[in-house]
This record gives sequence, structure tokens and C-alpha cells, in this order.
Amino acid sequence: MEILALEFMQRAILAGLILSVVCSVVSVYVVLKGLSFIGVGIAHSAFGGVALGALLGLNPIGTAMVFSVGVAWLIGLASKRGQLSEDATIGIFFPVAMAFGVICIGFQEGYTVDLFSYLFGSILAVGRQDLWLISLLGLLVLFFIAGFFKELLFFIFDEELARVNGIPVTFIFYMLLTLIAITVVVSIKIVGIILVSSLLVIPGSASYLLTHRFNWMMVYSVLIGTGSTMVGLAISYKFDLAAGATIVITSAFVFLVCLIFAPKRSKALS
Amino acid sequence: MTSSESTPIVKLDSVTVSMNGKTVLDDINLVIGPGVHTGIIGPNGGGKTTLLKVILGLIPPDRGTVQLFGHLNPGETSPKGMVGYVPQKCVVDPRFPVSVFDVVMMGRYGPLGLFRRPGKKDRDVAMENLQKVEMEKFADRPIGHLSGGEQQKVFIARALCSSPQLLILDEPTTGVDVQSQDQFYRLINQLKIELGLTVIMVSHDVGMITSYIDDLVCINQRVFIHGKSPDVLSEKILQETYGCEVEMIFHGHFPHRVIDQHNPEETE
Repeated sequence: MEILALEFMQRAILAGLILSVVCSVVSVYVVLKGLSFIGVGIAHSAFGGVALGALLGLNPIGTAMVFSVGVAWLIGLASKRGQLSEDATIGIFFPVAMAFGVICIGFQEGYTVDLFSYLFGSILAVGRQDLWLISLLGLLVLFFIAGFFKELLFFIFDEELARVNGIPVTFIFYMLLTLIAITVVVSIKIVGIILVSSLLVIPGSASYLLTHRFNWMMVYSVLIGTGSTMVGLAISYKFDLAAGATIVITSAFVFLVCLIFAPKRSKALS
Repeated sequence: MTSSESTPIVKLDSVTVSMNGKTVLDDINLVIGPGVHTGIIGPNGGGKTTLLKVILGLIPPDRGTVQLFGHLNPGETSPKGMVGYVPQKCVVDPRFPVSVFDVVMMGRYGPLGLFRRPGKKDRDVAMENLQKVEMEKFADRPIGHLSGGEQQKVFIARALCSSPQLLILDEPTTGVDVQSQDQFYRLINQLKIELGLTVIMVSHDVGMITSYIDDLVCINQRVFIHGKSPDVLSEKILQETYGCEVEMIFHGHFPHRVIDQHNPEETE
């Protein structure tokens, strides 16, 4: 196992660990509040941010962050206004953001950013600075979730009643969208823009099948998400496969197992 | 009419609400005093739920003012936690992974405020309220495993957790079987007396609702009557409220069948 002595591999494993924990926790909220498509929309919109950053000579992850948070808020605003259905709004926003990104790339002269690594992930290219950023932002997301734990739970369970009870639901909604956007952008490093939404959907969906208790759903989601990431990473190394894609397929396989063997869910609920 | 020297709990002055160009509530004037159990009846689409939402501050009126506990603009300025709200049952996803106890605990989140974790005192309050509705044995069950009536009792326990002075219930007996409905109204009345609550209840069940409430409000865009039940309840009032001919069938103190006679010649 000399590979583990190599720094890039250590960083890959660490990044994978931190990001899978954060994604799995956020995944619980995404799944229970029905925000999966918003997650997809935010992820694909990040492409516009990355391309813009590359064009302007700024850190692409930085611009992607600002871009994604902006798009997340716009989607939130549009869905609350209710003129158009939420999924139609997202379906408009993200292709436009992606198209914008493609045009930005067209303007670029000379060295172009490695698109493939942003689209499909490059966990084996996590640098020291990247690791700091991932740890910091990951911790920030977890910190906010812990701090507003009960408000978030009430919000996703019964938004209207939460509002009557004095929970600041508008703030919580936009905070959640922001946390999703941040999580999405830092996770682009492991699995890339195209696949990152799966990290926000699969762990939560799998753990939903296993328990009737919210706290356990959180625990199982982290175990499944982190386990799949580590195992997927190991398999991709062993068989020389794309790391990001292997992680996604592994987690999907775990989901399938949960679906087939779901203990309590097999009983129909009244 | 209700009369009270102290600040009315709810006061609506010329409240008008329109939604999508249609008038849902038209010039509503309503005063509800403390300790009174008010029932609100009326046909579907007549504005009953909208009225509740206006009182709660969820929908601002297009015209007129709303006062809750003497404060204008509830929802922005009224002290939270003084109102316990039990919404219509169907709003919640029954497969959401929470237990009965978890649901009742949510009633403590508002009073706790931001950045504070629920502690033993909160858990004790939650359990106490579960016992008040006789649901303590169900504490660890997933909320989705309960019947409609059982879930409603849990929601009432949740609403009681903020020690409210006003309890608002929107069609609380939807999905509850007929025998349990009576039990249910009796429970609410008991709680009202025990905790000194003011209660506002919307229900479809015209007959049963009049057995337990103090005041009755008939609403169909406008308030048709507001007065001491059962004096106000007559065929005429109901017909005006519901906009159609009505046959009244009563439970309890009233005769079993009272039919409005349309044709004097038929009574022979």
C-alpha cells in the first residue's frame, strides 16, 4: 500500500472524506425538501462561473462560488414568486448558465482551463491549497447546519407552521440554498459538475429507505456517502478507472442494495 | 355578540382579501374575546381557511386591519408562541422520518429561539402535552404510522407546547371517523377549560360543532352571522351562508330531525 504514502493520494482521500461527509449531510435536506433538481441546476450553473473565472483570470472556483450562490438565490426567488413552476424555472436557468460558460470559453485566447477536470472531477489533482479551501468551506457548511439544526428540521417538515411558530423561514430557505451551492462547488473537485448532484441525492435517498428517525437518517447518509466514496476511490485506483465516475457508480450500487433490503420501508405506511 | 372589557384576542376591521382577482373575503368585521370558543362554518371556497390565515398573519389583507392580542399586523409584530395553530391535516408528508415525540418537540423550537438546544425541560413539556391528548404511548412511533385522528391529537399537543393563549384549528376532524369526532371536540373543550384558552375552530361539521362552541360565525366571503350558538343557528341563516336549501339534522340536545318545510300545503 505504498500508494498511501504518496501525498496526492493522501490529499485525495482526505478531500473525499470531508466532502462526502458534507454532501451526505446536505443530501438529507435536499431529499426531504425535494430540492434534488435545484441541486442539479446549481451544479450545472457552476460551469458558467468556472468559465467566467477562467476568462477573467480569476480563481475559477471562486467565481463559480459567487455564480452558483447567485443562481441558487434566483431559483429560490423564482420558485417563491410562483409565476412559473419551479422545475421549469430551473430548466431555464441552468442551460442558460452553461451556454454562457461555453461562450466565455470561446473568448479565451491561449491557455484554456482544463474543462474535462471541472466537468468530470479530478480528485487525484487536489493540491494543498485546494485541501485547505475544501476543509474550511466544508466546516462552514456543517457549522451552519449544526447551528440551525432545529430550525432546518421544522422548515423542511412543515414550512407554513414553522413560520407561524416564529421560525425565520425565508432566511432558512435562502441559507439552505446557499449551503447547497457552496457544497456543490467544493465537491466539483471530486466528481465534477456533471455528476456532483448525485452526491446530494444518493446518500440521502438510500438512508431514507433505512429508518424512520431523522437523526439516524443523517447518520446512515454519512456512512453510506463516505463509505461509497472511499470504496469507489479504492476501486478506481485498483482498476485504473475514472475516480469520480467510480464513486458515483459505487454509491448507486449501495442505494440499490438499500432499496432491495429496506427493512422498515417494506411495510406500507397508512 | 361576544362582549369583553379587556383587549379582544382577535379584531378584524373591514378586512377584504382578494386572490387572483377574486374576492375571497369581503369587508369582514369580527371581534373575538378571551376565553371564548368560536366555531367558524361555511361552504368550501367561502374563505374559512383564508380567514384563519389572515388572523395568523400569513396573508395580509388588501384592505382593513387585523389585530391579534391588540397588535396590528400579526406575523410581523405579534408575540410568537401565543398562538397555537393546528393546520389542516393533509399538509404534512406522512412518510417524513420523525416520531410522534419529534413532532411535538417542534412546538418547542419557536419558544426556544435561535441558537438554543432543546433540553430536559423542553422534553418534559412535550411529554406533558402528549399526555394531555392521551397519546403518550405513541411517542416513539413514526408519525406516518398513525391514523388521521391520532395524528391530529399529536398536532394539538405540538400546538400546546408554546403555552399559547389562543388555539386555532382548521378542520381538525377531517379524516376522523364519526364516533371519534365527538371525543375530539370534547377533548378540545376540556383543554380550553383546563388551560384557559381562547379557541377558534373551523369545521365542516355544522351539527356537532354547535354542541361544544360558545359562538358561531357563518362565513361565505362575508360574515353572515356571529353570535351565541345555538341561538343563531337557524335554517334561514344556514341557507344564506351556504346559498342553498338546507336540511338540519342535530345531535345531542336537539331533536333528531328538523326539516325546513318548503310548502305549507304539505304539512297535513
